[in-house]
Amino acid sequence: MGMTDAWLLPVIPAGAFVALTFLGPWLPRRGDWLAILAMAATFLLVWPITADLTDALATEGAEFAGVANSIPWLEVPGNLELRLGVYVDPITVVMLIVVSFVALLVQIYSLGYMHGDSRYGWFYAVLSLFAASMLALVLADNFLLLYFAWELVGLCSYLLIGHYNHLRSAAEAAKKAFITTRIGDVGLLIGIILLFTDTGTFDIQQVIAAAEEGTIRTEVLTASVVLIFMGAMGKSAQFPLHVWLPDAMEGPTPVSALIHAATMVVAGVYLVARTLPLFELVAGASELVLAVGLLTTMMSATMGLVVTDIKRVIAYSTINSLGLMFVALGLGHPAAAMLYLFVHAFFKALLFLGAGSVIHATECQEVSQLGGLLSKMSITAPMFLIGALAMAGVPLLSGFWAKDEILTGALENRAVFSILLLSLPLTAMYMTRVYILTFLGEPRDKEAYEHAHEGPATMWVPLLVLGFLSFFAGLIVFDPIGRMLGFPGGIGEVIFLLEPEPLDFDWYVAFGSTALVLLGIGAGWYAWAVRTDLPQRAQQRLPRLHALFANKYYLDDIYQGIIDNVVLAGARVLAWFDRNVVNDTGVDGAAYATGFMGYLLKFQQTGKLPNYALGIVVGVVALTVVAFAVKG
Amino acid sequence: METAAQQVPLEHFLVLSAILFSLGVYGVLTRRNAVLILMSVELMLNAASINMVAFAAYTAPQAFTGIIFAVFIITVAAAEVGLALAIILRIFRNRQTANVDELDQLKW
Repeated sequence: MGMTDAWLLPVIPAGAFVALTFLGPWLPRRGDWLAILAMAATFLLVWPITADLTDALATEGAEFAGVANSIPWLEVPGNLELRLGVYVDPITVVMLIVVSFVALLVQIYSLGYMHGDSRYGWFYAVLSLFAASMLALVLADNFLLLYFAWELVGLCSYLLIGHYNHLRSAAEAAKKAFITTRIGDVGLLIGIILLFTDTGTFDIQQVIAAAEEGTIRTEVLTASVVLIFMGAMGKSAQFPLHVWLPDAMEGPTPVSALIHAATMVVAGVYLVARTLPLFELVAGASELVLAVGLLTTMMSATMGLVVTDIKRVIAYSTINSLGLMFVALGLGHPAAAMLYLFVHAFFKALLFLGAGSVIHATECQEVSQLGGLLSKMSITAPMFLIGALAMAGVPLLSGFWAKDEILTGALENRAVFSILLLSLPLTAMYMTRVYILTFLGEPRDKEAYEHAHEGPATMWVPLLVLGFLSFFAGLIVFDPIGRMLGFPGGIGEVIFLLEPEPLDFDWYVAFGSTALVLLGIGAGWYAWAVRTDLPQRAQQRLPRLHALFANKYYLDDIYQGIIDNVVLAGARVLAWFDRNVVNDTGVDGAAYATGFMGYLLKFQQTGKLPNYALGIVVGVVALTVVAFAVKG
Repeated sequence: METAAQQVPLEHFLVLSAILFSLGVYGVLTRRNAVLILMSVELMLNAASINMVAFAAYTAPQAFTGIIFAVFIITVAAAEVGLALAIILRIFRNRQTANVDELDQLKW
């Protein structure tokens, strides 16, 4: 099992999907064990591939450029050769570990969370399909296969957000997610085709090589890079296409943990990291990534402060984190982005699964009705706390190391650095807020509180595993620990891309950020645990600001306005044209004209046979004469 | 030794076929009895068959296409007669006439 066999990884869960779809109702327990076994097998197979990669890295060092294995797919001789294949390099392996591991844990967790669901088997089938497509996405060696998988994960996201399809809000949210990401996807597709027209290949590495040789026209390269980034913005919920992610929380919570926190939404980060050489060749592209990332980070942090739904708070924190990853990419530090992606997958999945435990226990997800759950949920509460502190960036937890990498990378750019510093206390504050409102204080809804209990072992064991990783995963930044786990050179060569980078550590940055994080936590503690009337008063003093945040910067209203006034107005014009011109004049008109001609001609019919016979004879004679005349 | 083809030129057959065909057309146009019209149609079909066989014998004696075509025409004609006579019989039973001038209901 080497790197060239990596194609097996997506095939296994895809097989589980097929089996569950066609045989599901006849399998014991609807086949959930089959999905989990397939995922476990996939997860185990990732390790030989990782070992193979680390061996290659150890022998080839910086010369190593990734391993590709592909088969011909479609061939037009002399014109076009499409290949289907996998490409494995360090970022691929990081993604493989994250995807297969989180998918496995989420599937185990769902045993408890989804127990008794009416579409239990279908849920597991789609989870398997999602895992297969996500693995195919990160393994794809060409843009076409990548796009194919890209759309498949979008489809799975749609299906799973709308899992509770009897709820109108869930159906609407699924539609919104699908359409919003589709806006970005169209850009991605156009970008891929543009690159193909100038290079004649879909192979990502060949396209990058062609761009570096300068065989792609500048304007084409610029346009396609911007369009590819559009795809990444849609999938990774970046401003202004981030609006779908908070609504996606309508789906079952394990889905939010897997798709909308750990894996699918980071596909955009992965795509930009994968094509970063292209971004570096286009003037202004990195700045665009940077600006979008910063704006998204700030906006989501402020919105996270006022949202009252526990899952949506975490959703905004996800958007916040994704923005941070794009900032790192825009600064030209893909390694920092990938490190953040790696640890983020653990602590964000932990937060979502913790929130899932709370919802499972209380059947309630408004923080205004929760509270005091610490005494009832002795596993969920501390694990959630670890996740929240890791997200906030408290030292020694995994989030700290990754955030520190990004901050150190931003040191040279003062404006970016100061905005990032500003977002730190905000993030810490809303994570503190959600923890306090959920687990501390007096229970606000007695009935929900009495009802609360810790879930089954299938639910709390994944929490413990993720809690452990959220605490310690960041330590792989230290080379000795990396080496101990089998990665030569630790982070330097596993997560980092082309040239290994040493760990950047700056004591000033570390202390400064820690101080800001603690300030945020303190402020959050003071506002929501000590002076609990403070948020209310702030809300009354600054009603406009609160409304701006609570209404998500009115973006949803603006989009709805655009849909109502522009899209639907255009649709009405087209509908009028279709009704009056195409239908009434064209289709009905043609039928009416034919009918009228028939009315005129029917009186020529006598019904007498000899008349018709004479007509035939005269016609044949006339045709013969004409034929002879024409032929001469 | 002269073959039959050399003694009787192709034109003779074509003239015979043309005469037969014209008779058939004349019959179809002038007769009023449906059965007689049917017989005239048969005449036309046979004229066509003669043409087929004659051309086959004179232009491509080794190939069977013309002859097979004639066989097909005979077969189809037999089937057609069977069908048409049945229809005429039903009409006669219904209306006590086979005169096509009186059968002019098939119009607006």
